[in-house]
Amino acid sequence: MNPNSTVQKAGKRYFVLLILGLFLACLIMSLPVYTFTVGVYTKKSSNTFVGNEKYKEALAEVEQTADEYRSQGLAVEISETVTERTNSKGETTSLVAFTISQTLKKNVWAFLPSSLPSAWVLRILTAGMAAALILAAAGCRGSFSTEIKTLDPGLRRMRGLSCLFLLLDLILVPVFILLNNYLFWRRHSLFQGDLLTDGKEEWYRVLDGFLFQGKMGEDAADALKNLSAEHSPLLWVLLFCFLLALAGAAGLRFGALQKPFLRGALYLFVIVICVITLYPYYVMLITAFRSNAEALDMYFLHLLPTKWVWQNLSDIVQRGVPQFLANSFMVAGGATLLAMLCGIPAAFAMARMNFKGKKFFLGFVIMSQMFSPVVLLIGISQLMTTLNLNDTLWGLIFVNAAFNQAFAIWLLRGTFVAISPEMEQAARIDGCSTMGSLIRILLPMAAPGIVTTLIFVFINAWNEYTISTVLITTASKKPITVGITQFSSFNMIEWQYLFAASLLATIPVVILFMFIEKHLTSGLTSGGVKG
Amino acid sequence: MRKTTAMLLSAALVTSALWGSALPAFAEEGDITLDVIICQYGPNTNEWFLGSGMDGTNFVDKFEAENPGIKLNLDVVSWNDVYTEVDTRIANNNAPDILNIDVFANYANEGLLLPVSDYCPEELYNDFFPSFIEQSVIDDTVWAVPDLASARALFYNVDMFEEVGIEVPTTWAELEDACQAILDYYEGEVYPWGIDMTTDEGQAAFAYYTWGNGGGFVDADGNWAVNSAENAEAINFALGLIEKGYTNPNPATQTRYDLQDMFAAGKLAMVIAPNQLPTYVADKGGEINMATANIPANEGKSSSSVGVMDRVMAFKDDAAPDQAARNEAIGKFLTFFYNPENYVGWVSMEGFLPAVNSAVEALVASDPSFEAWLDVLGGCQFYPTAKAEWDQVKQGVIAAEQNALTGADIQAELDALQEQLAG
Amino acid sequence: MKKSNGEKWWGPYLWLLPSILLISIFVVFPILIVFRLSFSEISKAGVVGGFVGFKNYIDAVNLPAFATVMKNTFWWVISVVGLSTLLGFIIAMVMNQKFRGRKIARSILIFPWATSLVIQASVWNYIIKYEYGSLNSVLLNLGIIKEAVNWRSSYQIEFIWECAVGIFVTIPFVTFCILSGLQSIDESLYESARVDGAGFWSRLFHITLPLVRPSLSVSTVLNIIYVFNSFPIIYTMTKGAPANKTDTMITYLYMLNFYDRKKGPANALSVIGFLILCLCSGIYMITVMRKEEEA
Repeated sequence: MNPNSTVQKAGKRYFVLLILGLFLACLIMSLPVYTFTVGVYTKKSSNTFVGNEKYKEALAEVEQTADEYRSQGLAVEISETVTERTNSKGETTSLVAFTISQTLKKNVWAFLPSSLPSAWVLRILTAGMAAALILAAAGCRGSFSTEIKTLDPGLRRMRGLSCLFLLLDLILVPVFILLNNYLFWRRHSLFQGDLLTDGKEEWYRVLDGFLFQGKMGEDAADALKNLSAEHSPLLWVLLFCFLLALAGAAGLRFGALQKPFLRGALYLFVIVICVITLYPYYVMLITAFRSNAEALDMYFLHLLPTKWVWQNLSDIVQRGVPQFLANSFMVAGGATLLAMLCGIPAAFAMARMNFKGKKFFLGFVIMSQMFSPVVLLIGISQLMTTLNLNDTLWGLIFVNAAFNQAFAIWLLRGTFVAISPEMEQAARIDGCSTMGSLIRILLPMAAPGIVTTLIFVFINAWNEYTISTVLITTASKKPITVGITQFSSFNMIEWQYLFAASLLATIPVVILFMFIEKHLTSGLTSGGVKG
Repeated sequence: MRKTTAMLLSAALVTSALWGSALPAFAEEGDITLDVIICQYGPNTNEWFLGSGMDGTNFVDKFEAENPGIKLNLDVVSWNDVYTEVDTRIANNNAPDILNIDVFANYANEGLLLPVSDYCPEELYNDFFPSFIEQSVIDDTVWAVPDLASARALFYNVDMFEEVGIEVPTTWAELEDACQAILDYYEGEVYPWGIDMTTDEGQAAFAYYTWGNGGGFVDADGNWAVNSAENAEAINFALGLIEKGYTNPNPATQTRYDLQDMFAAGKLAMVIAPNQLPTYVADKGGEINMATANIPANEGKSSSSVGVMDRVMAFKDDAAPDQAARNEAIGKFLTFFYNPENYVGWVSMEGFLPAVNSAVEALVASDPSFEAWLDVLGGCQFYPTAKAEWDQVKQGVIAAEQNALTGADIQAELDALQEQLAG
Repeated sequence: MKKSNGEKWWGPYLWLLPSILLISIFVVFPILIVFRLSFSEISKAGVVGGFVGFKNYIDAVNLPAFATVMKNTFWWVISVVGLSTLLGFIIAMVMNQKFRGRKIARSILIFPWATSLVIQASVWNYIIKYEYGSLNSVLLNLGIIKEAVNWRSSYQIEFIWECAVGIFVTIPFVTFCILSGLQSIDESLYESARVDGAGFWSRLFHITLPLVRPSLSVSTVLNIIYVFNSFPIIYTMTKGAPANKTDTMITYLYMLNFYDRKKGPANALSVIGFLILCLCSGIYMITVMRKEEEA
């Protein structure tokens, strides 16, 4: 095959696709796809029959208001809905609702000069298109000449970039239209319903400026009116897919683009995962610092509290949260220590010694995990009564340590097995006892695995809830998981306190975890591979 | 046998035995320690009993100062966990001495409770509203005393009613009309009516509708009659409200907190709620202009308000060395608890209605609306908690309601429940 | 690994002793009590009576909700363990790449693991409330949806949400187990495969999967046990409503015990659950571990 013609062909195809894509985007943006019915004024009148006194009164009021709008040069319409019903007593009731509304169709360009916040998205979008066009123009230098054999890498990069820009823009167009429609709708209906008063005037000023000064879309496109984002999202999705395929085809012709695309996808994926993971914590955070009323405001328009109520923190401190945290630290710390003290020798024996019943012991340990603490409540409580450990933190420490033996032994054994026994054997020849070789040689080498185990047991003990509920009856001995139940009492759930306390309960563990993250993976490695 | 196990275990855990044995040694010779479990009614319950919510001091400290020789080991438990904790302790022969909870029949029937006459001083006993005491009688013996009550009534959003131009409904038919009018007016933005058929309190919904239709849990002779035609009709009416879109959308999981929150936010026009609702709404920062009315009943049937009562009871402890002294200590606890000086503050803090005459005067003086509520309380019907099968009935009607929500036939469900009760 | 000459036969057992004692006293003893309770008559208030043979077991199996609950438990374990393993695997593959901010991303990923299940469940319960839940509020204010969505319109959907939350909190554990396995794979293996012309899928199936299988299998066994025994998510979000249709075995037997007060059957059900778990993880361990030993 003639390399010249391949380059040429690719170049031509690229430009055709690029121009086609740009043209399509511009076309969509020029269509009056943005439909917005502004209910300027609503008047509802109950027990009102068409023609009666009340009806005339209401109608007069509505007409007067409409006239006011008309005097400002707006073409408004009055619509009227009558809901008539026959009630259980056979009486007829009637509800009349008048709406003064203005339906507008706009193309996307109309947003460009407006001072709406969303206009900035559009400006970026337009700038992107311009950039794509310029880059493409720059990238076409000499590519139609029959002389060239390979495409200059600089040109290639320019073309790639222009493709990228175009792709982004094409994705943004429907997204922008959809988002904008819904945002308008929500704000407008909230303001109209008087559910929001904050910033109302400002909003209407901006809205008026936009709606009544921009250019209207062409009537010729009325045939396409069902294409408005509001009416058929599916159409938009289809269009979007088509454009994506188009742009993708244009872009992926150039191998150089494959890598940045994959890289972008990787970052996108990581970001999405992080956002989903952090979302509940975001909810906790903003709820924790809202006032009680704002926590339940179902029309809340802001993504952050309007006023950070630090009072919530001092309130929960007053209600014993530091004491609960201290208890949790003691229980989790003690349980971890005890679990390690019992688990290390056992794991050592499992890793380094041969004896009968090794498999039996492993089965025994795993079996000990198979009952949920919820099920064992009565048994554990009975045991604690027998041992005189009821209502003590020691009881919790023992139970938590015991319930974490399986994981501790499994992890530690894996760690020990992964470390070659030669060093210990050498030490033993030098006269070191088994215990000595364990402490001086093996433990330092197994530090990462031990740290991992520590953390895991600590978190499990920190998060334990059911047993503590039954075992601890003195308020000052409750761990945090039980302590926070006081914020959801018989009479009300105090979400802001509940979440503030939850955050406080989560933060220490998360810090611990981040601190130890490096050790964690390497520790689990040794545990996993040989486990 | 258990002793040997215990000894073995203790020997194995020398340390634990050390800490363990240190515990009871704190109690002085001759002191009586009472284990008390109190349910957490509101955000301040804990503070009042254990913190500094009682004018700078707390219940336990004040009690111990006034009653030397008696120690209180008082635990405030959330309603979510209280049954778990009490049952577990009973299973371990470690029942509390004094328990504050809603049910008592099982404990009484199984011989775990002390009769009230054994420990309650006569003066205090005569102070309780007689109609309340009657609710705790099994076989002519009083097993528990009421600690507080609340009455349920219909709350409605006055502003909405004025705007829509409707009257407060008194019958079911009127209720449907009102719901339709509200639905039309607000175009679905506001739920006209709230229903809670959750696992938490589905039995209340059962009571609201069946009692308004001449039905109920029991018949006139006090025998279980959950499957009466009236009951099925009543529940079908409630299900009809849900079907027609008059209610909150998820009645099986939306608890009364959710309903009250919606009411406070102006999302719900009518709700059947306890008398604390105004306080609740104010605490949540809502500004709702609300009023109360009778719960609507079916045409020709009488409306009946729903009363909910909780109780205080004392458990037997055969191991106690001096039964008379223990009974006396329990009596002292009750006397102290119901002393108007303490009790009035507690009841008004929790927003409930009192159970003793001596508290009425002070409460009415502090909040005139109490008087009206006390009248409502006088005409209230209560759950048949004195019957042994009450737990089963309560869970049974909730399950029946929830099954009906997912399409089952309510009459068949209730028939099955009745059959279980008979068999 | 050889026994040194001077050691007594009971030497290894001495090393195991503390662990055995701890488990025996604080886990096995309560388990024995549950076994005993499952054969005893227990009154509604919780007083333990005499021996009744298998009556409790027969009652438990004849409970009307038994079949539903078993079905739910099956789907709960399968979907949570299965999907969290799958998603955890994908995330681990991504997190194993080198990219800027990897450390931060990994730390963030740990969050759900480090938070108490009770708290997680309450937050999600709050998030998906229809009327004032955070999800609707955020989506509305971002302009992604036009009207509030009833995220929990039927019990089937509620159950799916519960599974989703279960998956959400389980993923970090799986991810980190697999990540540790991935990190131990020698990069040169991939390179030589690439030289041989192996594509992405071929490398995945012939190098990655076989090498992470050990860490995957152990994490799966533990996962099955933890997920089966998971209580707070379902209890906080629906309490099994409506009528036990979203209950799994653990929440159901809790409700049976403390709400319905059928304490005998509840204990019998615990033992049944235990046996099922033993059977499943036993079979799994025997097959998977044997394969590993062969490999």
